[in-house]
Amino acid sequence: MSKLLSPDRSTVLFLGNEAIARGALEAGIEVATGYPGTPSSEVIESLAGVARERNLYVEWSVIEKVALEVAAAASFAGLRSMAVMKQNGVNVASDFLLHLTASGTRGGVVLVSCEDPGALSSVNEGESRYFASMMEMPLLEPTDFQDAKDITKWAFELSEAIGNVVMLRSVTRMSHASGNVTCGKLPTKRRNAAFEYDGPVMDSQTGPMISTPVMAKHLLRQQKLKDVQRMFDNSPFNRYTGPAKPDLLIITSSACFLYSCEAVEMLGLQKRVGILKLATTWPLPPNLLEKYLRKAKTILIVEEVMAFLEENVKVLASGIAGRVGVKTFFGKYNGALPFAGELNPDIVADALGKILKVKRKSLPADYQTDVQKTAALIPVREQTFCAGCPHRASFWNIHNAIALDGRKGFVCGDIGCYSMAALSPATGYHTMPTLHSMGSGTGLASGFAQLSRFGLDKPILAVCGDSTFYHAVIPALINAQHNRADITFIVLDNAGTAMTGFQPHPGLAVSALKDVVPAVDIAAICKAIGAKVAVSDPFDLASTSRILTSFLADKGSLKVLILRQACALSPEKKGKKAFDVKVDESLCIGEACGCNRLCTRIFRCPALTWDRDTKKAVVDEVICAGCGVCASICPQQAIVKTEVSAPG
Amino acid sequence: MIKKPGSQTELKKNVLEQSLCTGCGACVGLCPYQVFYADRTVQLFDCDLPEGKCWAFCPRTPADYDHIKKSLFNMDDLTPEIGAVKGYYFSRAFDPRLRVNVQHGGTVTALLELAMGEGMIDSAVVSSRNEEFEQHGLLVTDQNQLRGYSKSWFTVSPTVAAFNRIPDDRKKRAGVVATPCQATALAKMKTAEIPGYNGSDLPGLVIGLFCGWTLSMEKFYNLLGRYGLSITDLTGMDIPAGKNILELFTAGGLISVPMAEVDHCVRTACRYCMDSTAEFADLSVGAARFGKDCEEMRGWNQIIVRSDRGKHLFELAVAKHVLQIREAPPSALLELKNAAVEKKKKALKNIVEKSHSTKNLLYLKSDDPVVRKYLGVEKKRKGKL
Amino acid sequence: MKEKTFIKTRNVILTGVGGQGNVMASRTLAHMLVDAGYVVTIGETFGMSQRGGSVMSHLRISHDSVKSPQIPRGGADVIVGLEPLEALRVLTVYGNPQVCVLYNSRPVYPIGVITGELSYPSGETIRDAFERLSAACWEIDATSVGLRLGNPVLSNIVMIGALSKTGLLPFDRRRFEKEIKKTLSAGKYKVNLKAFDAGADMIK
Ligand SMILES: Cc1cc2nc3c(=O)[nH]c(=O)nc-3n(C[C@H](O)[C@H](O)[C@H](O)COP(=O)(O)OP(=O)(O)OC[C@H]3O[C@@H](n4cnc5c(N)ncnc54)[C@H](O)[C@@H]3O)c2cc1C
Ligand code: SF4
Ligand code: SF4
Ligand code: SF4
Ligand code: SF4
Repeated sequence: MSKLLSPDRSTVLFLGNEAIARGALEAGIEVATGYPGTPSSEVIESLAGVARERNLYVEWSVIEKVALEVAAAASFAGLRSMAVMKQNGVNVASDFLLHLTASGTRGGVVLVSCEDPGALSSVNEGESRYFASMMEMPLLEPTDFQDAKDITKWAFELSEAIGNVVMLRSVTRMSHASGNVTCGKLPTKRRNAAFEYDGPVMDSQTGPMISTPVMAKHLLRQQKLKDVQRMFDNSPFNRYTGPAKPDLLIITSSACFLYSCEAVEMLGLQKRVGILKLATTWPLPPNLLEKYLRKAKTILIVEEVMAFLEENVKVLASGIAGRVGVKTFFGKYNGALPFAGELNPDIVADALGKILKVKRKSLPADYQTDVQKTAALIPVREQTFCAGCPHRASFWNIHNAIALDGRKGFVCGDIGCYSMAALSPATGYHTMPTLHSMGSGTGLASGFAQLSRFGLDKPILAVCGDSTFYHAVIPALINAQHNRADITFIVLDNAGTAMTGFQPHPGLAVSALKDVVPAVDIAAICKAIGAKVAVSDPFDLASTSRILTSFLADKGSLKVLILRQACALSPEKKGKKAFDVKVDESLCIGEACGCNRLCTRIFRCPALTWDRDTKKAVVDEVICAGCGVCASICPQQAIVKTEVSAPG
Repeated sequence: MIKKPGSQTELKKNVLEQSLCTGCGACVGLCPYQVFYADRTVQLFDCDLPEGKCWAFCPRTPADYDHIKKSLFNMDDLTPEIGAVKGYYFSRAFDPRLRVNVQHGGTVTALLELAMGEGMIDSAVVSSRNEEFEQHGLLVTDQNQLRGYSKSWFTVSPTVAAFNRIPDDRKKRAGVVATPCQATALAKMKTAEIPGYNGSDLPGLVIGLFCGWTLSMEKFYNLLGRYGLSITDLTGMDIPAGKNILELFTAGGLISVPMAEVDHCVRTACRYCMDSTAEFADLSVGAARFGKDCEEMRGWNQIIVRSDRGKHLFELAVAKHVLQIREAPPSALLELKNAAVEKKKKALKNIVEKSHSTKNLLYLKSDDPVVRKYLGVEKKRKGKL
Repeated sequence: MKEKTFIKTRNVILTGVGGQGNVMASRTLAHMLVDAGYVVTIGETFGMSQRGGSVMSHLRISHDSVKSPQIPRGGADVIVGLEPLEALRVLTVYGNPQVCVLYNSRPVYPIGVITGELSYPSGETIRDAFERLSAACWEIDATSVGLRLGNPVLSNIVMIGALSKTGLLPFDRRRFEKEIKKTLSAGKYKVNLKAFDAGADMIK
């Protein structure tokens, strides 16, 4: 039995994302959708794992906007549904979201945004909390794992109570952390889908699901928010811990609550500091805040990235200053806490210590000195493509084609593992000077290609992954073709959404539920758009390089090269080596003129290491994935590959 | 002798970025970093070795060229105008079937066939073309195939790269057809002093081609375009003596292009080249020309025999009736020398213009006797003007 | 061996390089402890690439309450390193004179070391540092054992086996058996148990 379906009252270790999924199951969710993105993916993944048993419909949608639309349809038909995405996904879905909050919803529908303060696995530190206030929808932020489950469950009830979508926000340290969760009951009843639309326009249950009449619906939504405030004032998820008259009141939410508790403990300030944990962060519960703002003169607001909570608390406090008195606020605006990066107990403790002038117990001085000396000996471990990664071979080909062409062409990057090509010197052949949102590489390339008339005479390339292609590249590609952009566009097709854990996408004949579904062929789409299309295996350096150089030389049209090779960690490859690869020491010339360590100095597969004593390259069998690419770059044929015969 | 070590970075700074690269291919095929593509020498990746063969072999890096010449040839044979001369003749291949499809007299191809047939070499590097007519060096190991790679194409062929790719133990058994810059590179390979490297007897035979310049592919293609031609239309090309034209042979007949139009298609690097007769080769071959009677000599070559090895092959060719010989009149040699001196002076003038100094002569040493001689003449003349 | 108990929260950091099975090891460990009645919080840090980067799991084992998923500086009680350099890196941030360290001796070289721009400290330097900077440390060659058992990734289980024998955490072979019985197929179960035992045997 799946852990997600553990019985009522059992205590299990859940990942934050699993806790959210369990909460949704306890709420009786019928439809769950999402687009993969760290740290959100496990919510949909774990629901997909129990979909059959629980009779759910779960899909990996092509793009977040569609995910929300599919979820909304279920809500309109009276079912409970959820759309899950990472922070920037909310931006993508936001146009529909604006209209959805205007039309209202029926069955409980929750938008889950898992955000990434500190950009641990993102290229942005986006914030979606502001969408809650901008679109006037309630925002819930669980502070621990039990909360994550319970609040998710409640979110569906709230959504139905106000007839609108509710947003639930998690962060990496919640989604990707695990903790004990005591399970509740899983419902046994199922709802039937029925969509009614013949009733009066303003009837939320039987009328059409539209955003007009705009004013009337807008006023209705705002009125409902007043109900929300009342519910939030009484919510058991908001809690105060600490002395009756604290010297300082911390107001916080999400994982920052745990950091705050730890910081108070570290400094031994349990008797002086109170913590107001808010799980309902928009709209703020006015009476609850008033009650606790009265308790202390000094307020510290602990939250990550932007000062959303701080701003809203300050607005509220200024409105009731006559009753609660004037406060001294600490937070982002006065510099107590940073506006960028994630927080942790140390950062919060340092801030708290400074405000209250208390010192943390420190380690013995000689220990500290020794630690510092030791730390200086530790080389950084930069991120790099995995051993056997097809992207290494692809960028090798791209780099060489650009060098051969000689016009200093460049690659517009996109979002995926291949974004690492923008990091130098991790890959060594840095060729990606732009990196933005999904699909933007192709859009930017389409723009750069128009600049030759103003003197930018360089070959313009763009890359994207297979999943990204379906997500947001297609409009940009059509734009490029229609406007005669001369670009060489490369699809790094590694057969799945590798970066986030191999979720299927429309190019594969399998769905989130493991059903056989029609695959949508990238090459056919590109051909239909009118591009010249070629397909190659990036591990075949010779033919890939031939195609790429000829594409760069072929001026004036849109060219698409699909580089097909599954990710080194993909389920079908994992653990299985295609080749046994070894360095023949007698042939390796190492640092000598004629090679100068091409494999370890330039190619940089983490499995190819350099033996400083023998001055030869060595393949580390533990790390080597057996792709065999290094054998085709060695000028001495010193890297020898032998095919691993398939067992049986 | 000066021993100035150098790296790939310096090669980039002092040769490639100075437009001095002749495209000879000497730095290509030695390692994975240097390649030749679309008429250019390309550095794929930076190499951080402080000293390398690429720099050592390049004909456009500074070296003591006078010393190299003296160590490879008999001092008594050396002339300032055209290098070592053991003999000077007009020649052509005896075999009329061979002469059908050659540039001039087929001397080059005939000599290669003989050298291979006699076991003097067991392979030869000649120039071949791909579908786009880009040239590249090709190693031919079958004597019977040599005739497939005759005729001259005036765009660059990175021939030496193909020589570099021959396994070390077989290099000394290979012959190479080389333009002057390529012959210079091969001479530098023979004399380079690099730890763990011995090039003293590589390669087995160098047959040099006379050379006035090579053409930039891009510019030449544009020129052809103006004549409504594409490179694939050409069946051959030549520069007949005394006419000041470039002849283009096509299926539709002969097209003559005035030299003035061809001039600006010449590779920049060639403007700084002093050598018109491949002074570092064992034997050098060009079109025969003297006086006004050029047409009559069209099917003939002039040949300079320079080294002992060259002499041996030449004598064998005559004895075995592989080559047909005519004594060249002294006026022909004089004409050749005058033309060679002209090229030297022009090159030195261009070099000084580029470096803005008679002390800094880029890849040449200002105290090299030949350089001094023609630089001096230049200066004196200027003084008189 | 009897399961030991402790009074305050135990802070354990498991660290290694992506691809070494760090996450699987920390979750297995945590599941055993939840089963034993503890409140466990795990925080995981791994970067953009699935392999090759530093990976770290923070385990907080408490009798009663959820903890921050990030351990404060200098706050580790136990460091388990699947890779020596990463263990040392963690020690320099989270170590203190009372910390105990168990680490796998087999290095995975960072790219900067492979290219020659950086250098990797010698085994001896690393051993010395651990001896100076910890209360107790154990070095074992878990990768070789994994290789011998047919898959180097088993080194993570070898480490768990060794950890059980150090007595630093309240779990034993019985609990491990029970845990993997739930999660692994019969074939995998056997070899994992072998790896566990081999690890336990390496701690004297
Ligand atoms: C770029 C160039 C410029 C020349 N300039 C002059 C000149 O100014 N005055 C003069 O008298 N002669 C010049 N020649 C030499 C002349 O064209 C003939 O090659 C020479 O007379 C030999 O004739 P042949 O009939 O013996 O040649 P063939 O027997 O036809 O053999 C010609 C040989 O040259 C090789 N070859 C062809 N093109 C090239 C190339 N681009 N680079 C290297 N090898 C090549 C072929 O592979 C073949 O081996 C030049 C040759 C070249 C390639
Ligand atoms: S590329 Fe080949 S010759 Fe060069 S160091 Fe690596 S194994 Fe040795
Ligand atoms: S075969 Fe070569 S390139 Fe591929 S993973 Fe192994 S060492 Fe790396
Ligand atoms: S120094 Fe040697 S290895 Fe480096 S680029 Fe030059 S020839 Fe190649
Ligand atoms: S002249 Fe020859 S050796 Fe020198 S850089 Fe150019 S191709 Fe290389």
